[in-house]
Amino acid sequence: MEAEIRGILSEHARLPVDMGDLDNEADLYQAGMTSHASVSVMLALEDAFDIEFPESMLRKSTFESVSAISGALSSLVGAPAE
Amino acid sequence: MDETFGALRVGTDLVPVEHVAESVARFGDRYIGRVYTAHEVSCCQGTPSVVAAGLAARFAAKEATIKVLRPVGHQPDWRSIEIRRDPAGWCAVHLTDGAAEMAREQGISNLAVSFTHEAGMAAAVVVAMCDDPSTTTRRSNSDGG
Repeated sequence: MEAEIRGILSEHARLPVDMGDLDNEADLYQAGMTSHASVSVMLALEDAFDIEFPESMLRKSTFESVSAISGALSSLVGAPAE
Repeated sequence: MDETFGALRVGTDLVPVEHVAESVARFGDRYIGRVYTAHEVSCCQGTPSVVAAGLAARFAAKEATIKVLRPVGHQPDWRSIEIRRDPAGWCAVHLTDGAAEMAREQGISNLAVSFTHEAGMAAAVVVAMCDDPSTTTRRSNSDGG
């Protein structure tokens, strides 16, 4: 999952640094990801993992690092169907 | 005698029009529908470059408004910050749902917005009055101010 997240971030986060230089806990906003880029990241993640982020998860913290995104996706992908 | 003045809050943002154009091209209606209201979309009609410039200006205005609202944790839905165009030509910020609630909680009122786009960039500034006691400025007549 982390490799796919990193691929999406490389394509959509518009970071001025290489994703390979950032560890999983690195703050993506501090690394240069803008609010607009985070929208594209969110939509690309939804496409890739066939999920939709609920409004309750639309926090900066949800997308602030590879680990945070991975945790959010795990909770959505693994969530039981209602 | 003390006078209590409401604090001013200012937010600003800058968005490359090209980034918005690419999001529209890549994600289409999903991108537009998650970020912009029907009114905002209706205000941004024309060629793809004109649409992208209008949407970029509105995104900058929304982000500038968020900087004024200073959310802690939860971000308001982008669509709860609507940039409304008056028939006379100027625009205003209209808050609903989560954004309106944040504004009420912090005593924020009288939001004013100005935005522009030129040379591939869109910029916006939002100014608001805030009556939150924790952020107001108290000035005494005796302080010479």
